[in-house]
Amino acid sequence: MDLLHHLYTGFAIALTLNNILYCLAGVFMGQIVGVLPGIGAPTAIALLLPITFSANPTSALIMFAGIYYGVAYGGTITSVLINVPGESSTVMTCLDGYQMALKGRAGAALSIAAIGSWIAGTGSIIILMTFAPALAKFALRFGPPEYFCLAFMAFGLLTVFGGDQPIKTMITTLIGLFLATIGLDVVSGKPRFAFDIPQLLGGIDFIVIICGVFGVAEVFNSLEEPEEGELIKGKVRLRDLFLTMDEWIASRWAIVRGSVIGFFIGLIPAGGITTASFIAYLAEKRVSKRPERFGTGAIEGVAAPESANNAASISGFAPLLALGIPGSPTTAVMLAGFMMWGIRPGPLLFQTNANLVWGLIASMYVGNFLLLLMNIFLIPPFVAILRVPYTILMGFIVIFASVGAFSVNNNLFDVWMMLGFALLGYVMKKLQYPIVPLVLAMVLGRLAENSLRQALTISGGSLAIFFTRPFSLIFIAVGIFGYMTPVLRWALKGRRRVSVDVAPDS
Amino acid sequence: MWLADLISGLAVLTLGVGIVYFSTDLTYMSEYGPGPGFLPLYLGLGLIACGIAVAVKILKKPERAEKFFKPRTILNVYALIIIAVTFVLFPVFGFSIGLGLYVGATMRAIGKHRWLTCGLTAAVTAVCIHFVFGHWLDIPLPTGIVGGWIGW
Repeated sequence: MDLLHHLYTGFAIALTLNNILYCLAGVFMGQIVGVLPGIGAPTAIALLLPITFSANPTSALIMFAGIYYGVAYGGTITSVLINVPGESSTVMTCLDGYQMALKGRAGAALSIAAIGSWIAGTGSIIILMTFAPALAKFALRFGPPEYFCLAFMAFGLLTVFGGDQPIKTMITTLIGLFLATIGLDVVSGKPRFAFDIPQLLGGIDFIVIICGVFGVAEVFNSLEEPEEGELIKGKVRLRDLFLTMDEWIASRWAIVRGSVIGFFIGLIPAGGITTASFIAYLAEKRVSKRPERFGTGAIEGVAAPESANNAASISGFAPLLALGIPGSPTTAVMLAGFMMWGIRPGPLLFQTNANLVWGLIASMYVGNFLLLLMNIFLIPPFVAILRVPYTILMGFIVIFASVGAFSVNNNLFDVWMMLGFALLGYVMKKLQYPIVPLVLAMVLGRLAENSLRQALTISGGSLAIFFTRPFSLIFIAVGIFGYMTPVLRWALKGRRRVSVDVAPDS
Repeated sequence: MWLADLISGLAVLTLGVGIVYFSTDLTYMSEYGPGPGFLPLYLGLGLIACGIAVAVKILKKPERAEKFFKPRTILNVYALIIIAVTFVLFPVFGFSIGLGLYVGATMRAIGKHRWLTCGLTAAVTAVCIHFVFGHWLDIPLPTGIVGGWIGW
C-alpha cells in the first residue's frame, strides 16, 4: 500500500503542467541528442546543468532523466536509417536495423525499437519502484568502510567494462581521483595541489571538467573524424511502421530477454547501457535457432539491444538514488546536479526527499509514453535535424560549455580550464584512454577519500576493518576481482595458447 | 601514434612523480587518522606504476599504423585558435558578442558559409545569448568594453 501511496504522490507531482513540460523538453532534447552523432546524454546534461541552477530540482531532474532515456530512442533513428549510431548504445542496432531498412522495413525496425524500448522502460520502472526503496533501506546499514569498498568495487568494475586496455582505464581512474583531491582538504583545511592559485582552493568544479571532456572535446573529435552516412532513400510512412505477425512473434521474447539483461546490467556500477545492448544482442544470437540471420536484418537483432539499453538506462537510477553511486557517466553528471542543489542521493534520500524521488520515478512513465508517441509520429522531423550543418551545432556546444563553465563561479579562469580539459579529453580519446572512468572517479573521489579516512580513523589505522565486515568484504572482493581481470584474461589466453601449441605434438 | 603513446606513458609517469613529490609536503598520518597526504601519495605511486607499464608495453610492441595527426586535424587547429582568440577577447567584446563572433568565424573558417550568412548568424546568436543567458537565466555574463558601449 505504501508503494501505491508513493506512486500516487509521484504522479501528482509528475503530472503538474510545469513538470509535464519539463519532461517533454527532456525527452525531446534527448531524442535530438540521440539523433545527432557526436553528442551524448552526459554532454547534453552537463551543458544544461549550470543553467538550471535556479530551477526547481525535481523539474530539472525530470528533464535530465528524460534526456537520458530519450537519447537511447533517438540514437536508433540514425542507426536504422544511415547506419551511423547516434549513440554508442545503439551500435548493435546498426547491424540488423540498417539491413532491415535496405530491405524496405525501416519502419518496422523503428517501430519495434520504440515498442521494445517502451515495454522495457515501463517494466524497468515497475521493478525500480520496488527495488530502489528496498536497496536504500538495506544501505542504511552501511558505514564508511562499506562506502569506501563500494567505490573501490565501482572502480574495479570499470577495469572490466571500461575498455580494451585496462591499464589506461586504471590511469584515467587515478587521474579522476587525483583531480577530486585538488583544493582545500575538508578535514584539515589545508590546501592540496592548489599552488597558491586562489581559484583552485575551492577545487576543480565537476561541471568545468564535464563541459570540457564531454562537450568541447567532442567538437574536436567530430571535426577530425565526422560520422557520415547516407540516408536511406524513400520516406518512412505511417503504414510502414506496422509490424507483421511474424515480426511480432519473432521479437516478443527478444524484448523480454533484452529487458531482463538490460535491467541487471544497468544496476552494476560501470555496467552502462552500451554494455547492456551489446550483451543482449549476443545473448539473442546465441539462443536463436537461426543465428546466421543476425546481421542480415533479423528483427530480434533490433528488439533485444533496444529493449536492453532502455531497461539499463532506467535501472541505472537504482544505485544512484539508493546508494549515491552513479553507474554511468550520465548518472554521474546527474549526481553532480543533485550536489549542485544541495541534495545528497543515498539511502536517506527516500525519506528526506521522497517527493523528488517519486516525482522523478513517476515522470519516467510519462516520458516513456511521450517517447513512444514521438517515435511513431515524429520520425521525419528528427531525420531533418541531421541536415543542420555541423559548424552551427559546434557553435552551440561551445556556447553552452563556455557559459556553463563561467556560471559555476562567475570567473574566466574556469572557462580557460574548461578549454584545457577539452584538449585533455581530445588527446585521451585519440590515444584510447577511456573518459568515463575519469568522470566517475572525479565524482566519487571525495566520497571514497572521506569514507577511507573515516574508516581508518575508526579502526585506528588498521586495514582489517575492510575485511571483517561482511558487506565491505564482498564489495572489496568483487573490486579486487575486477582489478585482477586483466591478469586472469592474460593467464587464460596464455593457457589456451599453450594447449593449442601442445595439441599437434600430443 | 607509437611516439604519442610513449609520450602519454611518460606524461603519466611524470604526473605520478609530481603528485608523490608534492604529497610529501602534506601530512600523511595525523592524530585523528590519515592526513591530507595519505590518498594522494598512493594515487601518485599508482600512476607511476601504470605510467611505467604503458611505456614498457609500447616499447615492446611495433608501431601502430594509425597516425596521431590526420588530414582533418588542421580543422581542430583552426577551431582551437578561434576559441582561444574568442576567450582572449572576452574583456573587449564580452560573452554575448564574443561568442556570437565565434559562431560567425567558425562558420566562415570551417564551414565555408557565405559572409552574409555568417554575419547574420553571429548577430542573431549574440542577441540570443544576451537575452537567454543574461536576462532570462540571469547569469551575470561579462559585457566587455563593446557590450558596455551598446548598453548591455
